[in-house]
Amino acid sequence: MNKLLIAASLGLAMTLPAHAATYAIDPTHTFVFYEIGHFGTSTNRGRFDRKEGTVQFDRAAKTGKVEISFDLTAISTGVAPLDKHLQSADFFDTAKHPSAKFVGEKFVFNGDKVAEVVGTLTLLGKTQPVTLKASQFNCYTNPMLKREVCGGDFETTIKRSQWGMNWGLNMGVPDEVRLLIQVEAIKQ
Amino acid sequence: MQRLCACAALVLAPAVAAAQPVVYRLDPQHTFVTFEVLHFGTSTLRGRFPVAEGHVELDRAAQRGYASLRIETARVDTGMPVFDARLRQGDLLSTEASPVAYFVASNFSFDGERVSAVRGELTLRGVGQGVELRALRFGCHTHPQLRREVCGGDFEGELRRGDFGASFGMPFVANRVRLVVQVEGIRD
Repeated sequence: MNKLLIAASLGLAMTLPAHAATYAIDPTHTFVFYEIGHFGTSTNRGRFDRKEGTVQFDRAAKTGKVEISFDLTAISTGVAPLDKHLQSADFFDTAKHPSAKFVGEKFVFNGDKVAEVVGTLTLLGKTQPVTLKASQFNCYTNPMLKREVCGGDFETTIKRSQWGMNWGLNMGVPDEVRLLIQVEAIKQ
Repeated sequence: MQRLCACAALVLAPAVAAAQPVVYRLDPQHTFVTFEVLHFGTSTLRGRFPVAEGHVELDRAAQRGYASLRIETARVDTGMPVFDARLRQGDLLSTEASPVAYFVASNFSFDGERVSAVRGELTLRGVGQGVELRALRFGCHTHPQLRREVCGGDFEGELRRGDFGASFGMPFVANRVRLVVQVEGIRD
């Protein structure tokens, strides 16, 4: 009888759809980089270093949800006066709005890989739609953690004026900003 | 008649080849080398090196150029101090023995007035290897405050870190490294 139960439950386990699992953002492999043109010559880059968030992910049901917030006071361009200017009211106004938040409610799949995450970005107190496109996506078992890790590279191009970040537009500082997102999340 | 022609050519030659190489000092606020390497076939790790000093000579009429950069590998910045410290160790950047990498190039390709590619030697961890940097964009403008010509662009190239002996973590972290170089130089 016991044996039968075990066999039955094993059979059930195999046919049941995989449940949505919670993944915690790995802060050591999750970064947002921005790219903005500089006088039509080169590209300025910056990085947001402090972040936290979680992902609900169900590969079988092809659903997911992600919430991640970034501490805008931890911006890093490699140029200290620029970091300071970016935190001022001209740009991120971190005294009033110290963080930015991305919420992705819709995961678009291509096969078993995430191809797009459709969501919203809240910045300077304004929430606007943003779609992140994956340039690669993969899951693997991390040999040290012995846990599943899923992640990839995503990107999108936004117009900063949509969030009211208008400084320099009249001086030729571009409106378009490319965001490059490295993300890995560990199954809990 | 022949002698006259040769004589005329000699007189004309300096006028035709009047363009002298123009020297540009690299602007450390707009010159950074970023590396990209794939982590577990999943997401892209990025790190930034400041460029301590460098200069570029361009002779656009003769389509020649020369570049020399000192790249501060000891000041690698990934946004994660623990990871930076790991990168500085002997089996990766080995910055105690070699705190600086050098890129020296005298093989420039032009597309009209624009630099399209630069081939030279990168010395990393004391090991020299040929590297080609291709321009993604290149342009010049007159800096509004400095009132001087600034030229620069974005370049990309790739190397195999194993060729330089920086082989820790392969194959989980890829051998192939993409270099993304932002560069701007101010005319001397």
